[in-house]
Amino acid sequence: MKPILIAILVIIAAAVGNFIFYTVDEAEQAIIVQFGEPIGDVVSEPGLKLKLPWQQVRYFDKRLLVWDGDVTQIPTLGREFILVDTTARWRIADPLLFLTSVRDERGARTRLDDIVDSVVRDMVSSTELEEIVRSKDWEVSAEALDDPALAERSDVNLKMQPKLGRELLEQEILNRARDSMPDLGIELDDVRIKRVNYISSVRQQVESRMIAERQSIAERFRSEGRGRSQEILGNMERDLRRIQSEAAKEAEQIRGRADAKATQIYGQAFGADPEFYSFFRTLESYRALGENSTLMLRADSDFFRYLERSQLQ
Amino acid sequence: MIQSVKSNGRGQQGPPDLQDLLDKLGGGGGPSGKLVVGAIVVIALIWAAMTSFYTVQPEERAVVKRFGAVIGITDPGLHFKIPFNIDQVQFVATERVLKQEFGFRTTSSEAGRASTYSAQQFEDESLMLTGDLNMIDVEWVVQYRINDPIKFLYQMREPTRTLRDISESVMRRIVGNMLGSEVLTIGRVEIQQIAGEEIQTLMDGYDAGIRISTVEMQDVVPPPAVQPAFNEVNEARQERERMINEAQKRVNQEIPNAEGGALRTVAEAEGYATERVNRAEGESARFSAVLAEYAMAPEVTRSRLYLETLDEILPTIGQVLVVQEGQLGPLPLLDVNRNSGGEQ
Repeated sequence: MKPILIAILVIIAAAVGNFIFYTVDEAEQAIIVQFGEPIGDVVSEPGLKLKLPWQQVRYFDKRLLVWDGDVTQIPTLGREFILVDTTARWRIADPLLFLTSVRDERGARTRLDDIVDSVVRDMVSSTELEEIVRSKDWEVSAEALDDPALAERSDVNLKMQPKLGRELLEQEILNRARDSMPDLGIELDDVRIKRVNYISSVRQQVESRMIAERQSIAERFRSEGRGRSQEILGNMERDLRRIQSEAAKEAEQIRGRADAKATQIYGQAFGADPEFYSFFRTLESYRALGENSTLMLRADSDFFRYLERSQLQ
Repeated sequence: MIQSVKSNGRGQQGPPDLQDLLDKLGGGGGPSGKLVVGAIVVIALIWAAMTSFYTVQPEERAVVKRFGAVIGITDPGLHFKIPFNIDQVQFVATERVLKQEFGFRTTSSEAGRASTYSAQQFEDESLMLTGDLNMIDVEWVVQYRINDPIKFLYQMREPTRTLRDISESVMRRIVGNMLGSEVLTIGRVEIQQIAGEEIQTLMDGYDAGIRISTVEMQDVVPPPAVQPAFNEVNEARQERERMINEAQKRVNQEIPNAEGGALRTVAEAEGYATERVNRAEGESARFSAVLAEYAMAPEVTRSRLYLETLDEILPTIGQVLVVQEGQLGPLPLLDVNRNSGGEQ
């Protein structure tokens, strides 16, 4: 009999314990509900707690929670369609209010979707894309602006200084979301723009623009190559002509000096008897006559005269 | 199990298939009843024994909770706790460097084999806008450690997911605040540093117990569709260098050659000059010598020279024509050559 009694006692104790004790986890806060009505303060200290057996416990997360928005397609002020993905962090600040206004986290998420999405939509559609992408301290160095690939860009104002920029825009979204949020027992901690991308049709346009940009740069490189090559070859041509003509000039000068010297020498030597020189030189010339030359002699020339004379004898 | 025993023990009427069990319990103080209670006690003891200790691995810390409230952190080793889930333990790998990958995933990193990476399907993560409103594909890794396990567990519900969201947001903000060309070239180190600091600041703001070790940029490239055009630019740059080099090569071929040619021209002229002067001197000397002799006997010498010369040249001359003054054409021909030619 005894063991069975003990067993039954243990079971009853466990059952009663189950009804009057409850634990609150480190990550949780709890509200006691009695006949559907919340009773007493929020239990935020973790540990083992007591309650009346007919009371129920509702648990709520105490930690910072993540809200992740859907990727939404929004036109900016400049009419580009972009995809915006936002994320936010929130917590259940007032479980009592939370319980009565949105019941549970799913309810809260739906409300957050509505509020944050519409604020983001409003802000993005009233802002230039540059504002969303850049930050307040945006600056372009002068040398970057000299880059022809950028200088040719007419669709984007590179120097445009954002009035807000990404960070302050996020802050503004947070402020507005907080303002437009009714008392739901929710505290919005921050809202961040996670991703901003072009929609696919705009993306294709941007890609083809980038391709055209690159091709223009490539063409410039090629043309530069050709230009430099021409310049080098031109310089070479100039140098070649200079070298050759200088050499020719010097050669002619040398020849000229030599000719003058020779003339002077001949002059001195032949000047002694010009008549004999003519005779002597003419004979030299005869020697230089080649084969098959035709020699015309006057009948009264010396040679012929002697020839005749010898025939007569 | 306790629950089912309880309900069946109270209700005297149960399903017929539990008749055996009811008999054993309701039958009172028989030896079989003792056996059942004993078994329950033994099972409870085994359960207690099994849930009263735990081991913490070297790279971990354990957060111990009693009735849900944190009572402490334990170091690696064997530890005891109160059983029946009164003490609960959560393990956190505080000593390990953890990493989050963006734009790609390491798909296999078995020991001794090279890791393989998959970048497909993560374009959404890696594609972002630069300050000049172009697109760029950035892959990066955030390495971090959990430096406060209690905060890590109880400040945020999804700290890792938050870390991912924040990393993406921060990276896009930084890249959006730079020109695409800067991101592709010089911006890397700067981005890594700023991103690390900014992510850390934000995570500290959430009190998430995470310490960022490094942010490392991996592949930073233009979007896939534009990459061929970027390659074309590189090729064009190479082509420019090649064209310049080729022109330079031609210069190097031709200029020294021309310089050599110039030297040759000058040297030849000098050769000519020397020859010309020498000949002039030689001929002058010869003439002067002959003239000296001629002065002594002009008539004889003159005839001798004339005839000697004709002697020499007539055998080689083709034709000799004799022209008589007053006649129109050449006179009857003296064909010296034909005769001498016949003899030769």
